Amino acid sequence: MRYVCSLLLACAVALSLSAASPAPAASPLKIGLAAAVSGGSAASGEAIKRGIQIAIDEINAKGGLLGGRKLELVIRDDEGNPAKGVTIARELVEREKVAAVFGGLHTTVALAQVPVWHELKTPYMGAWAAGTNIAQNGKKPNYVFRVSANDDYADRYLTRYALDTLKKTKPGLLLENTAWGQSNEVGLLKWLAERKVKHVGIEKFNWNDPDMSPQLLRLKNAGADVVIMVANAPEGAQVVKSRAKIGWAVPMVAHWGISGGRFAELTGDLSDGVAFLQTYSFFGKQNERGQALLKALKDKYGVKGPEDIIAPVGTANAYDGMHLIALAVAQAGSADGAKVRDALESLQAPYAGLIKTYKPPFTADQHDALTDDDYIMVVWKGGKIVPVATK
Amino acid sequence: MRRIGWIILAAAVFGLPLATANTYYLYVGASVGLLTIVTAGLNILTGFTGQISLGHAGFCAIGAYLAAILTVGAGLHPAAAALAAVAGAAAVGVVVAGAALRVSGPYLAMVTIAFGIIVEGVLVEWVGLTGGPGGIFDIPKPTLAQGYLIICAVAACALWLVRNLRASPWGRAFLAVRSSEVAAESLGLSAYFVRIVAFTISAGFAGASGALFAFLNGYISPDSFGLQTSILYLLALLFGGVGTVAGPLAGSLVLTVLPELLTSLVDYRLILYGLLLLTSIYWLPAGLVGALAGRRAAGFAAAPAPPAAAPSDAPAAEGQPGALLEVAGVGIAFGGVAALAEVSVQVPATGIHAIIGPNGAGKTTLLNILSGFYSPGSGTVRLGREAVSGRPPYAVARLGIARTFQTAQLFGDLTVAENVAVGIAGRRLGNVLGAMLGAPAVRRRERRLAEESGALLAAAGLAEWADRPADALPAGSRRRLEIVRALATRPTLLLLDEPAAGLGPTEIRELIAELSALRDHGGPAIILVEHHMDLVMAISDRITVLDYGRVIAEGSPGEVRRHPGVIEAYLGAAG
Amino acid sequence: MLVQLLVTGLALGSMYGLVALGYHITWVTSRTMNFAQGTAVMAGAVVAYGCHVGLGWPLLPSLAVTLAALAAYGIAIERIAVYPFFRTASPAWLLSTIACGIIAENTAMLLFGKDARAFPSALTQQPILVGGAGFYPQELLIPVVGLCLVAGVQYFYHRTSYGKQLKAVAWNAEAASLMGIHIPRAVMAAYALSAVLAAVAGVLLAPILNVAATMGTIIGLKAFAVAIIGGLESAPGIIVAGLAYGLVESLVAGYLSTGAREIVGFALVILVLIIRPWGLLGSRPTRRV
Repeated sequence: MRYVCSLLLACAVALSLSAASPAPAASPLKIGLAAAVSGGSAASGEAIKRGIQIAIDEINAKGGLLGGRKLELVIRDDEGNPAKGVTIARELVEREKVAAVFGGLHTTVALAQVPVWHELKTPYMGAWAAGTNIAQNGKKPNYVFRVSANDDYADRYLTRYALDTLKKTKPGLLLENTAWGQSNEVGLLKWLAERKVKHVGIEKFNWNDPDMSPQLLRLKNAGADVVIMVANAPEGAQVVKSRAKIGWAVPMVAHWGISGGRFAELTGDLSDGVAFLQTYSFFGKQNERGQALLKALKDKYGVKGPEDIIAPVGTANAYDGMHLIALAVAQAGSADGAKVRDALESLQAPYAGLIKTYKPPFTADQHDALTDDDYIMVVWKGGKIVPVATK
Repeated sequence: MRRIGWIILAAAVFGLPLATANTYYLYVGASVGLLTIVTAGLNILTGFTGQISLGHAGFCAIGAYLAAILTVGAGLHPAAAALAAVAGAAAVGVVVAGAALRVSGPYLAMVTIAFGIIVEGVLVEWVGLTGGPGGIFDIPKPTLAQGYLIICAVAACALWLVRNLRASPWGRAFLAVRSSEVAAESLGLSAYFVRIVAFTISAGFAGASGALFAFLNGYISPDSFGLQTSILYLLALLFGGVGTVAGPLAGSLVLTVLPELLTSLVDYRLILYGLLLLTSIYWLPAGLVGALAGRRAAGFAAAPAPPAAAPSDAPAAEGQPGALLEVAGVGIAFGGVAALAEVSVQVPATGIHAIIGPNGAGKTTLLNILSGFYSPGSGTVRLGREAVSGRPPYAVARLGIARTFQTAQLFGDLTVAENVAVGIAGRRLGNVLGAMLGAPAVRRRERRLAEESGALLAAAGLAEWADRPADALPAGSRRRLEIVRALATRPTLLLLDEPAAGLGPTEIRELIAELSALRDHGGPAIILVEHHMDLVMAISDRITVLDYGRVIAEGSPGEVRRHPGVIEAYLGAAG
Repeated sequence: MLVQLLVTGLALGSMYGLVALGYHITWVTSRTMNFAQGTAVMAGAVVAYGCHVGLGWPLLPSLAVTLAALAAYGIAIERIAVYPFFRTASPAWLLSTIACGIIAENTAMLLFGKDARAFPSALTQQPILVGGAGFYPQELLIPVVGLCLVAGVQYFYHRTSYGKQLKAVAWNAEAASLMGIHIPRAVMAAYALSAVLAAVAGVLLAPILNVAATMGTIIGLKAFAVAIIGGLESAPGIIVAGLAYGLVESLVAGYLSTGAREIVGFALVILVLIIRPWGLLGSRPTRRV
């Protein structure tokens, strides 16, 4: 028994010793990242990290914030597990005293964290997870902001593209069997219903599934003339390979997940013609920030070119998100969570960012900086991403 | 000293919310508490009965979802929902245990893994009830400090319940079943049933932890309850110390706090975690608590024996004339080879009946049939009016047949007194809830059991060993303890399998005296399988001789000694 | 569609069987197994990728290096995680092999990277189309190689003298020891062989499943299920169970739904064990009293 007591004491001492000492005025201003950096989705966390870090480097090069405080990124692994996500959320705020936290890929983790941001009054910047109710969470005041896709808008955009641009009438849905897939099932059904179009079938697959041909065959037999796909890169690649296997040249329209990973490498030339949504593309002509970002990725992370960026949207969203937070901190004149939150909702200075010029990014009712007006439709062509015209 | 330790610990734990407003520490503390609740329950299954489960995250999930659905969907009060969650998880536990515990070892691990995966799959697929992969939101939750205090209180309660359970007939039955399944069954315990009870309780604990998890976070989704979580539970338990009361607490503490200390290492974190686990397994094979505290038997202290310990009550031999045990035409074959054929023996209600024969004659096989471990291929065995053949061993034991084994099958982790107490209690384990709560009736019965076992041990000259683990007994005393334990069940028939094997001349003389005393003071009828001829000839009333699975002679010692067939069998076998 | 489901099912099923055979081999010689056997599948694919794609070596030398490396990996697991706890009553080897698995997976993630990479194979370029369905030649190659290996392992055990020695250890360690067989070495050999079989599965599957640090987990788990329902002691049972599991999975996914696949698959595992507690072709050990 004595030993359990001493063990407890030892743990308490260890925990408090590892805690950050109180911050003097010129100490770094910490920004948290709570995302998966291990396990099957680790690439997404890496991409977000790069975007934030490069933005931080730019800000620090200009002398930091709040009279010379440098920014510092603190990364924590949520392992894709909501319980772990809540723990690191509290740790980042309470022990590391971060001013704001970026979130990762998992919708379930982000949903589990929402009450924590509200309770601890800490602004949260979503850089990936697109679940509609993360940002539209019903909390007042709402501490969750997002520079990323929102499934509801994305689904409207995908529906329009399939029905209006491609002029198809019998869409089949192919979704991953996760919270993200579920969020899109709701959105797609909603927008298809609004257009009074009936889908011919909803098919699902699990992560790491090697073969999707049964699902595709069922959609084919149901008479689908277009497949709307919600998948990440590895599974998306299997879908495309299975499509070749059953010899079905159906047009495919995909949510942005397939850009998170090496979709082109995994599929070879089979990916040609697959259309998908992006918030940003590093292919083609880049604006000033795009050029700077590409150079920084090359210098800092050895990225050879646009095709070597493993999850471009994560990097792009996080980069703009970081700059927006910096502007809000500057406007608030403080790193206090509530003040930064208010500043984010009423940002005065327009920000000419990577993805677009935000004027303003957020309002009291709109916590998604990007809407379907900002999305672009692209297709794979010879391993490169090429924009396509939409209407 | 121990009590002071617990008090300091409790003060530290419950004082934490006053000492700090840091919600991170409170949340980590609550996580330790949640893990402690699960592992305390798992300790009953793995630590006490020795069965491994890699599916307890499934029970956690059932608890969490029941609590969430009942509060959010049905508007139940959280406390009522939590109780329902525990009951629900335990109910599913009974069903799973019924299927899973037919197998053991890696097979059991697989069944439990499969269960966990099925639960996860159902949570994802049954969208209407569970919200699908997105889970359930807005579960009513207390403030973090309240949640923390509730969870710590429940965790403390869980440890206390397990401690009480360990010090009850149930606790001894759990350990007995792990230590020696055959011996436990020969005392009337159904190993299958005992393990189902252990599994069910541990499922209930996991359900409680799951319900509290739901209320702590206000949000649940299937990905909190995967196989990784089940593995973590087992790791925490093994790390802390299997079978010790404080082990689950220590293991949960370290396996929750350690990853927190490593968080800043990000990419190297899990590698380091693995390395730390690995090295600690080398240095602490018995777990933290096991290593720090040394092995301490948690059993009761045997009460001092009353002065003139009377021998046990006369058994319920009705004094009816004719045979107590009737073996008629019994045969059994293994892989086509007949081990016994047409064996018929009648044993009266008193006296010592020896069964002898050369090696491989089928003596032990016959004993195994009489005690229900083998089912005869032909023929019948009856004890009084009851059929023995066809019943499982524990049911045979309940008819009044007790036995010992060729190599003594003691419950090594239990004390000598506890070994005897298992025999006295037999199948009468009492109410398991009462045992967990340490109800007064249970405690009174414990005192009685301690007195009785103390008396039996004193009569057998083993009193000084009463509080030592049975594993520490010297060889000669092991056999004696086994006989005492068998007699503690108050059998009408006692089967002894080579009780003199390995004993020296003095010890054999003592054994002869003891067995004679047993016979002369109205003890049970005894069937004695023995090689040692001096012993057999000295005390047997009747002898049956087996050779190649058949009865070749039967009669008094004098008759058998002169039987030509017997002489030939022994001379033939001597070469 | 049926043809295609059968081909996919047989391909995966034979790989489950091959990896499951690894559990069998170490279990019979030592009553232990590598609970993180899936990491050996991953390690095989990752090492082969490193040699073949990373260093640009031709396929055959890459394969040779991979198999040698994985044999070493198996021996390392045995030395580090199993040997210290060999034939002790404690399940410490279960913990230690899981710990080794955690280390291996995250080291791979650090060295190999976090995203899935394509493993080029001439046999996954063009599918063969049959009616309304099709499959890649690789999917035909997998069961053929898998079953040949299984036959080879059986031959090794039953016909070669070293194999017979290993089998003797499995049958009765004490007697084998008396016969002069060095048991620790036999256990080491079993672990090496088991890792090599997993590596072959990893390399064969890499072109279809892609290479990733986390690719082994599910295969390892399903192979464990296969080893159990086949009967840990019975190699033929494991092969039958592997193929059956692969087919059932494929057919359930094809005709019911993917969501039902794991539920039905693992429910069948439980059902089989209720009906045949020691596996399909395993036999109940006689109770020793």
